[in-house]
Amino acid sequence: MVDFVTFLDITISGIGLGALYALVAMGFALIYKVTGVLNFAQGELALVGAYGVVILGTSSLISTPLPAVAAVGATILFGIILGIFLERVIFRQFIGEPVLSVIIVTLALGGIFSGFIRFLLGPNYRSYPEALTFGFSIDLPLGTSISAAYALAVALALVVVVALMLFFRYTVTGSILRAAASDEQAAMVLGVSIERTIALAWALSIGITAIGGVLLAMSSGGAGFSIVATGIIIFAAVVFGGLDSIPGAFLGAIIVGLLQELGSFYLEGGSAVVLPVVDVQLNFGAGFGEILPLIFLLVVIVVKPYGLFGTERIERL
Amino acid sequence: MPCGEYFTSYESRMGLFRWRIQRVALVLALPIPFILPLLGLGGGNVSLLSQMFIFAIAVLGLNVILGYAGEIVLAQGAFMAIGAYTTSRMLTTGAGLLPSMAVGGLMAALVAVAFGLPSFRVKGFYIAISTLALQFIAEWFFNNSRAEWIHGGAQQQIPSDIGLIGPFGGLGGDLSIYYLSLVAMLFFAILSLNLSRTGIGRTFRAVHENDLAAAVLGVNVFKNKLLAFAIGGFMIGVSGGLYAVYIGFISPDYFTLALTLEHYVMLLFGGLGRVWGALLGVGVVTILQDILQSILQSISAATGLNATSLVSVFFGMVIIIVLAVEPKGVLAALGQLKEYLRKWPYAY
Repeated sequence: MVDFVTFLDITISGIGLGALYALVAMGFALIYKVTGVLNFAQGELALVGAYGVVILGTSSLISTPLPAVAAVGATILFGIILGIFLERVIFRQFIGEPVLSVIIVTLALGGIFSGFIRFLLGPNYRSYPEALTFGFSIDLPLGTSISAAYALAVALALVVVVALMLFFRYTVTGSILRAAASDEQAAMVLGVSIERTIALAWALSIGITAIGGVLLAMSSGGAGFSIVATGIIIFAAVVFGGLDSIPGAFLGAIIVGLLQELGSFYLEGGSAVVLPVVDVQLNFGAGFGEILPLIFLLVVIVVKPYGLFGTERIERL
Repeated sequence: MPCGEYFTSYESRMGLFRWRIQRVALVLALPIPFILPLLGLGGGNVSLLSQMFIFAIAVLGLNVILGYAGEIVLAQGAFMAIGAYTTSRMLTTGAGLLPSMAVGGLMAALVAVAFGLPSFRVKGFYIAISTLALQFIAEWFFNNSRAEWIHGGAQQQIPSDIGLIGPFGGLGGDLSIYYLSLVAMLFFAILSLNLSRTGIGRTFRAVHENDLAAAVLGVNVFKNKLLAFAIGGFMIGVSGGLYAVYIGFISPDYFTLALTLEHYVMLLFGGLGRVWGALLGVGVVTILQDILQSILQSISAATGLNATSLVSVFFGMVIIIVLAVEPKGVLAALGQLKEYLRKWPYAY
């Protein structure tokens, strides 16, 4: 029968994966809340973060790589600058344009990023510098264990999430962002510069997404193109959480991470569980773990489209 | 004699070819694609034109869903894959190409309608998200060896000795594929042109412009959205089937999100919601892509860089520039240019 310690092990790694997704999902929810842009390029932006460390921190492109920690810092800084750049150059043109234009623009941006990274580094997996990979694992009570890289990534993700929550709750800038998100015109009347707020939201969003990408790559020891799939998986998280709710995105991401880990252990390959009565092994084939969140997404869209904490929009003629 | 041409009846106003110059152009231009291969066009060019016609069908299908009914569908690759794999499965039973393609189209239409069902409750980007999920699910499904009893293997060779219907009307070589896809494209182009002129097309447009207002006026919004999904899905599925026969080999790698993006570039470049725009977009973008591919391939061969991956960068930039400069597409821009020249040197 299914062994309890294994189950606990998988649950823990699922929550950990969820915490990693949470960063990317919160980047999405933040920008949707403040500017109304649905960013379909989140996966590729996370990829930019993940490969940023490879470019700056290893000697694959540049002859004298930065030390690992500096490379991570530079990548995050690059993410923030990229956010401001994208807002100024691209997304400002599309304020007030139909949803379709904005969606297609983000998809096109995704194509540009992944194509460019493929051009620079090729389609192969690239491992991270030594200082960012850890060989040992940490023992947890009840006989479970978790690898150190994973644990560190998860811990950092949780720190960022908590810092963000505190930032939104207790700082003036955070309140301005919340104000601009809830009512743009009222915020403008009260003297908030919407232009600067939107630029800040983009910088913050892409900065967080880049951190998410770096940590996702760090948890698996290096960057690969499979990170792009995060872009669609986080939709399951944010739609379940209610699209414009940042705590909802966090909660949704944890659930999606759990679903993915449990799905890939219990519903695919040799470890798949056997249905007790009819004696059929629930083996849906390799890669089902990543598909389960998408099925969950479809169910949420049909059953509860506004999610847990989302605001239901009422339309009038 | 009137000094010009005037519409004197509703029929002439709504006609497919309204002006004398259009009729002349039709008579002069229509034979060109039919006699082109006979005039010594190289095999590579015939193949490129066939691909253009096949993609034109898929883009016209996208035009029905996105241009007419306004639903954002991001599953071109998935629908084409469903069409392609169904066609391949049907061909092995010896049914012939036309019935196989029809079944492929119906299958894609069925899946399209199934993924259109959420539009009962939600709209806009939720459909975009759910169809994007379909794209990923389809890629996984066709790669999955445990679903082989449904799709029949991820990599498949299409049999080469196939007939149009059953064993009759044998197809041989690139030229027959060329004519087949040309005729199919003309059929679907006329179908979409007529669709936009009839009540169904106007209903689609009403749903697109303001679905709430359309519902108040007595339009069944849900039914019409599903109808658009079915018609568009059928066309995309048929195009997938033709594409499979054209390449002669199918693999999930041909039907990725990149294909979806490519079709969006074509449609948005030409002009959303216009049949001629879609055809123009497919033509221009396919030729551009072909030139770009060959240039980048020679660069890759010379320098050892993988420059071919820059194609998606190029297309991404084209799509962003088109949307920023002229969201209605090149056809609308040409119309504006014509107006400007007509009034020149006055502003109005």
